[in-house]
This record gives sequence, structure tokens and C-alpha cells, in this order.
Amino acid sequence: MRIDQQPAYVLHARPYRETSLLLECLTRDHGRVGLVARGVRGERARLARAELEPFLPLALSWRMRGELGTLAGAEAAGAPQRLAGDALLAGLYLNELVVRLVARQDSHPELFGAYALALGRLAAGESLAWTLRRFERDLLDALGYGLLLDRQAEDETPLQPQADYVYLPEQGPQPWRGQPGPRVRGADLLALAADRMPDPEGLAALRRMMRAVIAAHLGGGELRAWRVLGEALRHR
Amino acid sequence: MSTASKVLAELIDALRCLPGVGAKSAQRMAFHLLERDRDGGRRLAAALTAAMERIGHCRQCRTFSEEPVCALCAGAARDRHVLCVVESPSDLAAIEQATGYRGLYFVLLGRLSPLDGLGPDELGMDLLRRRLAEGEVQELIVATNPTVEGEATAHYLAQLARDAGVRATRLAHGVPLGGELEFIDRSTLAHAFGGRQALD
Repeated sequence: MRIDQQPAYVLHARPYRETSLLLECLTRDHGRVGLVARGVRGERARLARAELEPFLPLALSWRMRGELGTLAGAEAAGAPQRLAGDALLAGLYLNELVVRLVARQDSHPELFGAYALALGRLAAGESLAWTLRRFERDLLDALGYGLLLDRQAEDETPLQPQADYVYLPEQGPQPWRGQPGPRVRGADLLALAADRMPDPEGLAALRRMMRAVIAAHLGGGELRAWRVLGEALRHR
Repeated sequence: MSTASKVLAELIDALRCLPGVGAKSAQRMAFHLLERDRDGGRRLAAALTAAMERIGHCRQCRTFSEEPVCALCAGAARDRHVLCVVESPSDLAAIEQATGYRGLYFVLLGRLSPLDGLGPDELGMDLLRRRLAEGEVQELIVATNPTVEGEATAHYLAQLARDAGVRATRLAHGVPLGGELEFIDRSTLAHAFGGRQALD
């Protein structure tokens, strides 16, 4: 199967054989795909290695065979978003999130837009934490694991802004009665649902909640970026 | 692979651990050594054994070394106030060959890359932090690759240097010498354009 000029981003590239790269890409219509880019690491590379870096909007063409495709062409599709500093680390986090949570060749059309939007926000210098929380919410929605953010899990009672809840990853918010689990204010859950940025305390609570939810979807594992970037951002 | 000799089969299988060597090349190498160059084969075996047993990492810069401290770090001729951070020993070799750099190195053996499981611990950042805290280093030259992950690593290194009150510098990115603007990829060109310098 041949796919032409598909909007895409490279999420990760690793060396493959002598002069090739194995690319993990997020594409608009074909979800996450693994592509082999042949001969791009040599001196006389047909495609510039720099064009296959993460965070650049690309139009990719490839031929699919089994699990992996073979890259046939890559073109620029729009101006590059330049991520620098902490925004760059946050971008690496987005990429790990997508690679770890999204299965290959499952199409999620909304996901591509949400990813591009998040990159744009990172490049524009918007709040890192809030950008990441919004993307996590949209990613879970696109994968069909949407969060329950406006009512209680058990009895559908609407959330009270001033009440405290515990978010159970597989179910949703439960009134907090001292039980373990990520504790979060009703107001912060409602703010996330309404796309309104909460205060720093609320953002921190939402971060802990998202970690628990994502860990549950990873089957109890954790994202390496939590350790890597947590430490990188701590030294400031 | 079915061969008459079990030892030969093992040799062929072992040779396949080399990058770019498949079953066919491994067989060709094994036959060549057995038929034509047994001395070469013995030398290779001895060199491999010696290297695998004795080469470790320099305690100061993490590059490959059979001594606890490598010859570069132990040498008296180098400027100990400048430290150049590179991703790999091959980057170190490239800088040694191409530039007249007289300072010391620090080899990360990788770059910050969550998806490859490489974080500050794997890259020896603690060792580097202690080195900077000693106060001898006055300039940290960040020579990680100009890739997304190399840039993320550079950002991290710049923070380390700032915390330790050490000046950090980064290799310039730009148009390769002898290159033509028309054929340069847009990221490099954009970078070179943004980093233009005054003509004196």
C-alpha cells in the first residue's frame, strides 16, 4: 500500500543498520506508523537528516509492508515550530506519551490536531504544565479513554467545585473520604473540562491525577520522561 | 546454519554480533580466517579478549580507557580550565583531529532521550556536577549534536553550568564550508540566518 503526502510529525528516530533510521511518526490519517528511512545517515544522503527531526511539520510518502513502512519521500509542510529550553523537554515528553500510549496503525484523526496544537502552544511559550494537561486530556479522549470531569463515577452526581475528590483511573471522581489515590478539587476537574487554566495548586493536583491515569493505561508502568524530565526541571 | 563443525558454527554465530554483519558475511569472515589468516585470527582473538577484559571508563571523563584515569585527563599538557562535553568517544576523536583544542573532555555516552531510556543518571550528570563544583573548570563547551535530543541535553548542561557559576558555550551551527545556500536544509539555514554575525 502506498501513501502519498501524508501530514506527519516524526516522534523519534533511532539508527537502523549502517545508514538508515527507524522513525516513529504520528500521521493525520494513519495514526502512529513505524517507517524505515533508508540511506539518510550517509555522507551523500538523499534526504537531509535535519528534515527528519521531531517537531517539524512534514508531508511524508511511504510504502507499507507489514508492520513497518519504507519512507519514499519527505517534504516540509509549513514553518517549523522552534522549541527551546524547557519547552523542548516538554516536547520530548509529548512524544514519549504518544509512542507509549498509541498503538501503531490505529487511526485517531483528532489526535494529530491536538498534537500540532500542543506543539504550537509550547513554541509560543504558553504555560508548559497547562499545555501538557490539555494534551493529555485530548489524547485520552482520542483514544477512547476520555476522563470523567463533570460528575461522580458512582451516581452521576454533578461535581461540586469546593468539594475534594479522588480520581480512580478506571472509573472517575469519587468523593474524598481519606482514601488513597490522587486527590483533586472539584473546581480543578471542572476547569479542565471547560478548558480554563486552574491555579498552580490545581495544576499540580491535575498532574498527579494524570500520572495515575496514564500509569494505569500503561499497565502500571511509568513514562521514562517523568524521571528524566522531572530531574532535569528540578535543577533550576 | 548447518556446518560440519560445532566450533565453526559458534564462531559464525559470534561474528554476527558485529554491526552490519549478517549470516553470509559472518561465514565469509570465518572461512577467510581459517583458510588464509590464522595468525590474524589469533591476533584478533587476543586483542578482543584484552579489550573486553581491560577497557573500562575513565573515572574523570567517562571515555574508554584501560587506566582508571585516561591519558588525556592525566596528561599535564592540557588546559584544565576548559571542559568540552561530547555525546560519544567518536565525537571526542573528531574534535581532537579537526581542532587545536587543548582542554579536557567529558563524554556523556548518549544524550537525554526518554524514549531510549537515557536520563541524567545514565549520562553521568552527577559526576559532571561534582566536577564543576570543584571550581577548576571555568568554561563548559557544550558540543552535543545539533539534534532535538542533543539540544535538550545542551539545555540541561547549560543549567548545570549556571548552577555552578561556570560559563557555558555552545558550538556554532551554520552553513557548512563550501556549501551552497540553495541546497542547505531549511532548519540549518534558518539557524544560520538567526545566528548571523557582524562583519568586522
